[in-house]
Amino acid sequence: MWFRKDAAILGDFEQLVLFGVLRLEDEAYGSAIRQEIHARSGRDVSINAVYTTLDRLELKGLLRSWVGDPTPQRGGRRRKFYAATPAGLAAARQAYGAFRAMTVGLAGRLETK
Amino acid sequence: MKQQAPRLAVSLLGRRVPEEWREFVLGDLEEEFQIRVQRSPSAARRWFWRQTLRCLVAPPRARSHSHHAFPISGDSMLRTLVADIRYSSRVLLRAPSFTLAVVAVLALGIGANTAIFSIVNTVLLRPLPFDEPERLVRLFHVPPQATFPGMPRFAVSAANFYDWQRDARSYERMALYRFRPFTLTGGGPAEAVVAGAVGDGFFETLRAKPLLGRVFLSEEDTPARGHVVVLSNGFWKSHFGAAPEVIGRTLMLDGEVYTVVGVMPAAFSMASWSITHRDMWVPIAYKDADRAVRDNHNDMVVARLKPGVDIAHANAEMKDISQRLERDYPKENTGWGATVDPLQEILVRNVRTSLVMLLAAVALVLLIACANVGNLLFARSLGRSKELAIRTALGAGRARVFQQLIIEAIVLATAGGAVGLLIARVSLAASATLLANQVPRADEISVDARVMLFALAVSILTGILAGVLPAIRAGRADVNDALKEGGRSDAGTIGLRTRRLLIVCEVAFSLVLLTGAGVMIRSLLALQHVDAGFDPHNVLTMKVGLPETRYKTPAQTTAFYNDALRRFRALPGVQEAAAIDDLPLTGGSQQPIVVDGHAELLPRDQPTVAVRKITPGYLRAMRVPLLRGRDFAEDDVHVMLVSRAAAKLLWGDIDPIGRQARLPLESKTVVQTVVGVVGDIREAGLSENPVATVYEFTREHDWSHLALVARTSVPPLTLAQAVTAAVRAIDPEQPVEEIRTMEDVRDDTLTSQRFSALLLGLFASVALALASVGIYSVLSYIVHGRSREIGIRSALGAKRFDVVRLVVVEGMTPALIGVAAGAIAALGAGRLMAKLVYGVSASDPLTMAVVSATLVGVALLASLIPAYRASRLDPSEVLRAS
Repeated sequence: MWFRKDAAILGDFEQLVLFGVLRLEDEAYGSAIRQEIHARSGRDVSINAVYTTLDRLELKGLLRSWVGDPTPQRGGRRRKFYAATPAGLAAARQAYGAFRAMTVGLAGRLETK
Repeated sequence: MKQQAPRLAVSLLGRRVPEEWREFVLGDLEEEFQIRVQRSPSAARRWFWRQTLRCLVAPPRARSHSHHAFPISGDSMLRTLVADIRYSSRVLLRAPSFTLAVVAVLALGIGANTAIFSIVNTVLLRPLPFDEPERLVRLFHVPPQATFPGMPRFAVSAANFYDWQRDARSYERMALYRFRPFTLTGGGPAEAVVAGAVGDGFFETLRAKPLLGRVFLSEEDTPARGHVVVLSNGFWKSHFGAAPEVIGRTLMLDGEVYTVVGVMPAAFSMASWSITHRDMWVPIAYKDADRAVRDNHNDMVVARLKPGVDIAHANAEMKDISQRLERDYPKENTGWGATVDPLQEILVRNVRTSLVMLLAAVALVLLIACANVGNLLFARSLGRSKELAIRTALGAGRARVFQQLIIEAIVLATAGGAVGLLIARVSLAASATLLANQVPRADEISVDARVMLFALAVSILTGILAGVLPAIRAGRADVNDALKEGGRSDAGTIGLRTRRLLIVCEVAFSLVLLTGAGVMIRSLLALQHVDAGFDPHNVLTMKVGLPETRYKTPAQTTAFYNDALRRFRALPGVQEAAAIDDLPLTGGSQQPIVVDGHAELLPRDQPTVAVRKITPGYLRAMRVPLLRGRDFAEDDVHVMLVSRAAAKLLWGDIDPIGRQARLPLESKTVVQTVVGVVGDIREAGLSENPVATVYEFTREHDWSHLALVARTSVPPLTLAQAVTAAVRAIDPEQPVEEIRTMEDVRDDTLTSQRFSALLLGLFASVALALASVGIYSVLSYIVHGRSREIGIRSALGAKRFDVVRLVVVEGMTPALIGVAAGAIAALGAGRLMAKLVYGVSASDPLTMAVVSATLVGVALLASLIPAYRASRLDPSEVLRAS
């Protein structure tokens, strides 16, 4: 195996979600993550895809979650917040490292003007 | 102003999203919706709906709560099953004509099975509608076999019953009952009713509670206090308009006043147990003299076993008691035993064999349907081999593909089962009146939970049975071959052996069914043409029972009947009119007879004969031949006619004319002289041997319930009005009952045979149709698959005839093997039917030959069409196409 065996391999969408969680820090919940992905990657994903992935990442031990207070703009419903665990951070690093390593020297060809 | 998110969308989401996430998902969508709505409310709504639809199509999957050490792959058993079912439904809906054909065939098979099972369920399996019915039994005498050969049960004599009641310890309660005809007067025209006359404890034995009022008290089982009556629900409704204040009202029965004390609920009346299916019940109210009668057996007995006592124990006890009674009363009881049978058993024993046979027959129909559907599934799996190969190439194991195909078959069968259940309900409702005369408890037949469960189980089993062979074959298909683009696939030759086997089975099962139906129909025809000993055509029959309260003396009854017969003979269209106590084929008295001044023997050794009371002219009216001597004359005294069988039984080869005989049950002293010998009548049923019968003259006996017969020169029923009017002219209060033709009386004894023949014929035709369609479809498929080969043969000079022969041989080989296998199976099935047929062997060679020839003919026809098509193939076109 060519990767460190303690870091999980992430799928494409899992990477987007995990990076979204890292970017949003304390404000990482379903809708915010969805909008972050939409705004940055241009992918208008469905909320159910986000939740399915969040759940899978949590199951793999890469995320942890807690439930916040109800808010009026949500019709009195609560938010479920997510944050990366150390294993999640490691997996994100691994993905980033792989990405960076694989794209070294390709900037000229890959970057759109 | 806060905008509302689309409410319908929210509610749909609420249903579809797993509960553990519902709050968060809905909250998230609402929150973003509120932001978007600031920019454009309509766009926000569209967005909300888009998100909702995406959730509905692929809802967020709740994760399993189990603690897996490894991430689960999502391939849990249940989820696969659900996915397979959904996939199957989609696949099947995409091929509607295939699905429709299969569902129709299965619906027919499962529907027929469910309908027959509903009958079996009600008649044989469902408990009787009484409290703890399994403890209810009937008690009978077992008559001496020397004098009543082959008769396993006999009615009970009153004195013996009271001894049983006193001595037996196996029963919680027992009661005797009989039937008592009454003439009901006092409200409109006189009406004949048959009441149940029940002994003390009858209702208590059944634990039947009245709807209104009460049942009888113990002290009402006496002549002095016995003028009370309990009404049936039907009678209460028809005669009292269901008035609750009926208790205390009175009825005039045979001119005497009876007080209504109770009304039974409707559920108490069971058409198959006639004592419960009466208009009303009265106390049997025996006088002391009636209670002491030991040598005349006319009563029925019902009893309830004590908890924990089984039939064997009860029978053993009855044997002891009977032996004691034989010792105590040798003159009356020698040779008379007793037997105990479950009530349910007694009610259904006549139909059990027929029902089991029908269930077996209908199961064969389902097997044929299975084979057909198996064939269709097989053809389809070949057409889908590429799809299946792709699945295999993508990693689906053989077991996985197998499971998918089996589930597809089960989904089909379940759909067929649902339609079949509908067919069963509709056909049962449509045949309700037909059934009512054929099977006991027909009025209770319904589709209940057990029937539903049966239909479901049969559906699943059918699916597995029909799907398993095709699924195994499909699992074996070579992935490489199937995936090769344009790969040469001689589809017609793949799995040929399996499909030939299916044809063999179909033909074999059809042959068994057709043989069964053929034998039943031949048996029915034989019975219809059997010489019963009389001529039933153009005979009108009716019953006239005179109430003893108004016709007190023999002179009065004789005068009435003579007057009635005289008026009948005067009617235009009537050639002869006469009377008899019990019409042929409807049962009647059976008595010991003592000849030529011999001493009376013990009951065990005394010969018995059927005894009928007739008027002069009866023989002419029924066209019973007078073989020797003469008919009765009006002024005869102490005379008797004997049937040929009776003459042979009593006197052997000696001429019976002028000989003397005595019927000790009727009179210990009167000796009668034989004046004539008449032809035999099949009294006990058309399929039975003639019964030794003696005829007495009605005038000499105080007999007040007679059947009148009229030989007519016009269609008999056209005279129904005239004969009723003739009776009313003598006595306006006198009802006439059961006006029927003698042909109807005879045909009534054949109903169960007709029922079996009808259903078997129906099943056999369905089987034949399914089998021919099966052969045809398989051959068409083979021809299609081998068209290249046939094209090459034609191009190389094969004649059209050669091609036809090739295909026909292909189809006929399995058909002929099927006929051979079916013939062997039919011989085995004949054993089951042996008891049900008359005048023809259950494995009748002629029937088998005709049926085999029919099947071969149908198979040939089914082969010729594809063969003709094959012979028309244009070689150049076929070869170019491939």
